[in-house]
Parts: sequence; structure tokens; C-alpha cells
Amino acid sequence: MSWKNKVSILLKKKIVLNLISVISFLIIWDSGVRYGIFGHYMPSPMEVIKELKKIVIEPISGKTLFEHIFYSLRRVMIGFGISLVIGIPAGVLMAGNLYARAIIKPVFELFKPMPPIAWISLAILWFGIGETSKVFIIVIGALVPLIINTYNGIRLVDEELYDVIRTLGGNRRDEIIKVMFPASFPAIFAGMQISLSMAFSTVLAAELVGAREGIGFIIVMGMKLSNSALIIGGMIVIGLVAWLISYGISYTERWVCPWKRDLSS
Amino acid sequence: MANREKKKKMVLNVLPYISVISLFVGWQLVVTLDIIPNVLLASPIQVAKMFIYKLSHAQPDGFVLWVHTVVSLKEALLGYFLALVIGIPLGMLMGWFKPVEGLVGPIFEMLRPMPAIAWIPLTIFWFGIGLTGKVFIIFLSGLVACVINSYTGVKMTNPTLIRMARTYGATNWEIFFKICVPSSLPMVFGGLQVALAACWTTLVAAEMIAADSGLGFMITMGRRLIKTDLIMLGMVMVGLTGVVISVIIDKIETRLIAGVRR
Repeated sequence: MSWKNKVSILLKKKIVLNLISVISFLIIWDSGVRYGIFGHYMPSPMEVIKELKKIVIEPISGKTLFEHIFYSLRRVMIGFGISLVIGIPAGVLMAGNLYARAIIKPVFELFKPMPPIAWISLAILWFGIGETSKVFIIVIGALVPLIINTYNGIRLVDEELYDVIRTLGGNRRDEIIKVMFPASFPAIFAGMQISLSMAFSTVLAAELVGAREGIGFIIVMGMKLSNSALIIGGMIVIGLVAWLISYGISYTERWVCPWKRDLSS
Repeated sequence: MANREKKKKMVLNVLPYISVISLFVGWQLVVTLDIIPNVLLASPIQVAKMFIYKLSHAQPDGFVLWVHTVVSLKEALLGYFLALVIGIPLGMLMGWFKPVEGLVGPIFEMLRPMPAIAWIPLTIFWFGIGLTGKVFIIFLSGLVACVINSYTGVKMTNPTLIRMARTYGATNWEIFFKICVPSSLPMVFGGLQVALAACWTTLVAAEMIAADSGLGFMITMGRRLIKTDLIMLGMVMVGLTGVVISVIIDKIETRLIAGVRR
């Protein structure tokens, strides 16, 4: 086999291409900074890594990096928990009861198009810049996808499935436990997934607008201190946390509703 | 029996109106009866008055309502179309050509989990608070949805069609343009609405953090001046404008893919 052939085979492998991509990205970034193509406001990759090392050890305004992450995640979890408690029953009620649907749906449609971020100002006026206002916005942001997905998930359950269990002699309870719940759960879970990532970006926005701790606060500090390495370091941390959250969810999904794969295939 | 059915139907028809009206009446009453102080909540009538006032007055935040809306719209639509123009071809190429996927994929995977909002401080740092920075953030927030949807659209092309084209001797590019691109269109258009919602949300966030005009800026000014009617007017306008754009996009979408079987 000639030398050229070997290279062309190598270039077809995905991992090789991925490596080339990442390495050339870093090289372009680094040399761009070195020769001043990106202006003076761009740190080199090494500076960002140094900054990341520094913020892991040294606290930023009294809290270490992991404490900041912890604060953000706690807000997300509290808000997400509250919206689970409100959203899923509301969705079930809307899907199950015609009167409830007639009452809740128009109000819901009225609030739906408003981005949760638009509520921040009002929330700060109402609750100050403490925890309550952040949790409030997260609840608003996380609620919408939960309600939509629960409502649609239950409504779009195949009618034939109900017919089957009725023919097999099931009563109303069997219909709910054995058909409605398992058939709509994947959709509800997808709603939970969307609403969790929504909650995460909402908490970032809330922390950018006004906070004393949290991951969003780190990048705002970077902006205020004109420390672009800190901003990019904070963004990398945010990306990592967001990736971990979405990985965690898809792992849980496989564990909580194993029948979903059967549905999709 | 028939009478009862009729009655039930009538109640169900009227109930939505009652629900919305009672929401507004309750809201108005809560403010008028001073259950919630006026500093914290403006009544619907106050918001409506503020709307009429803002149509012709630049006070207290510097611009007439119309100007704010146009500024926001311009930023949002510019970034959105930029995201469409770059994101959709990129996603399609990634879906069909293995080398493109291998080269662009990892960088895209790094960008993807990061909420677009996290880019705001960096863009302000780079471009300042003007138009360029806003358009850049909006572009990033719309890009992800565009790329993912067109990528999946191409990936989901029916393999039988591709094999058939191969049998008839079509080249790689021909298969891409004549089979993959058309068959991915419904999926691509599905991404348009998602991208739009992402863009609009991010724009409001960006304007709230740093701007000198726009609807998000108006909301922030309302907070600084503690004028709840201004804040709530801003929220209503953001919601309304969002609905109007998404209806327009929906209309264009149905017109464009009229011939495509769903």
C-alpha cells in the first residue's frame, strides 16, 4: 500500500478528523491571539486554562468555584422541583377534564409566549435579588414545557390502546395505570428534559442580571473586571455543567422508562 | 339528553372567555383594592394607559415605544436570518458528508450545550453594546437549532431512496441535492420556530443586561425607575411581538412546503 493510500484511509476515520478539527481550532485560536488578529480582548487557550486552575483554588468574591456551581444548581433544582409539582398535575388536569381545560388553557396561552427572562425585572421588584426571585423565574421558565408536554403526551395516547385494555376487561384504574401512564411518560420525560435545560439557561440569565453568587455571576465578574480569560473560563464551566445535566437526564431516562426504546423503534 | 349535551357544549364554549375575563378583573381588583401595593403591580388599565402614552412620548426611558420595538425586531431578525443562512447548509452538509461531520462536529458539540445567554458577557466585551454584539449573540442562539434540525433531517432520509438513486448512477452531490435536501425540508422548517423562540428569548436577555434601546432595555429601565406599568408594558410587547413573528414564520412555512407530504 502506497503512502498516499494510507493517508487517505486515515483521513476517512472519524476520530482522526475529530482530532484534526480540535487541534486546528486550538492552533488557530492561539496563533490568532499571538498575532493580534482578534484584537487585544482575546486570551489565549493557555491563559484560559491557567485562569480555570486559579478559580478552582482561589475563591471569587468569597466563594470557590464549586460553591458557585452548587448555588446555581440548588436554584435550578428547587425551581425545577416546584414546577414539577405544579406543572404535571396541571397538564394531567387539562388533558383529563374538559372543564379544567376550558379554564386553564386560555390563561396558559396568554402567558406562554412571554419569555421567562422578561419576568426578571418584575421578580426583582417583588422579591429582591435574593434566592426567591431566581427560583420564581426558574419556575416560570420550567413550567411551560412541562405543561405542554404532559398535556400533549396524555392527549396523544393511542385510542386503540384504551380499547385493548377495555376489551381485556380492565377498569378505569387499569386504564390510567397500565395504559395512560406508560404511554405518555416518554413525552412527559421529554418535557422534563426541555424544562431542566430551560431552567438552567434561565438561572444564568437571572444571575447575569443581578446576583452575588452562581456560575452566571462568575462571567459577570469577568466582564466587570475586564478579565476575558475569566469570562471564557466561566463559559467552559457552564458548558461542562450543562453537558453533565443533559447526560444525566438521558441516563436516567434509560433507567426510568426502559420501554421508550420499544416505542421509538 | 340532547338538551344536556347542548348545555355542556355551551358551558365549554363560554368558559375560556370567563376565565380570561375573570383573570383581568381579578388583577384589576387586586390593584384597585390595594391588596398588592401599586408599586409592585400595575393594573391592566394602567398598562393600557402606559401603552397609549408611550406611543407618542419618549419619557421616561428615552425612546418612543415604536423605536424600541423596531430596534429589537431589527436585531432579532438580522441574527435569525444569519443563523438560517449559515446553519441550515452547514447542518445539511454535516448530515451527508462524513469529512464535514468529522471536522465541524466536535466544535459544534462544544458549542451546543452552552446556553446562548452565557455568551452575552463575552460579546459585550468584544463588540460593545451596539448592534453587532446583539446580532452575534442572536446568531449563536439560533444556529444550534438550525444545524441540529437540518442535520437530523438529512440523516433521516429514507435509505431506500438513496439506494435507488445510486442504482440509477447518481453521483454523491446529485443524491445530496436531489434527495437529501428536499426530504429534509419538513424537519428544517420545524427547526425554524424553535430557533426563533431561542433568538427572541436571548435578545430580551441581552437587552436587559446591556443596551441603550430595545424592549428588554425598556423593561430594565422600568425596574430602575420602579415603574411597574412600564415593566409590564414591556413584557406584554415582548410577548405580542414574539407571537406576531412566529405567526408570520408559520405562514411562510406552510406556503413554502405546501407540496411536501408530511
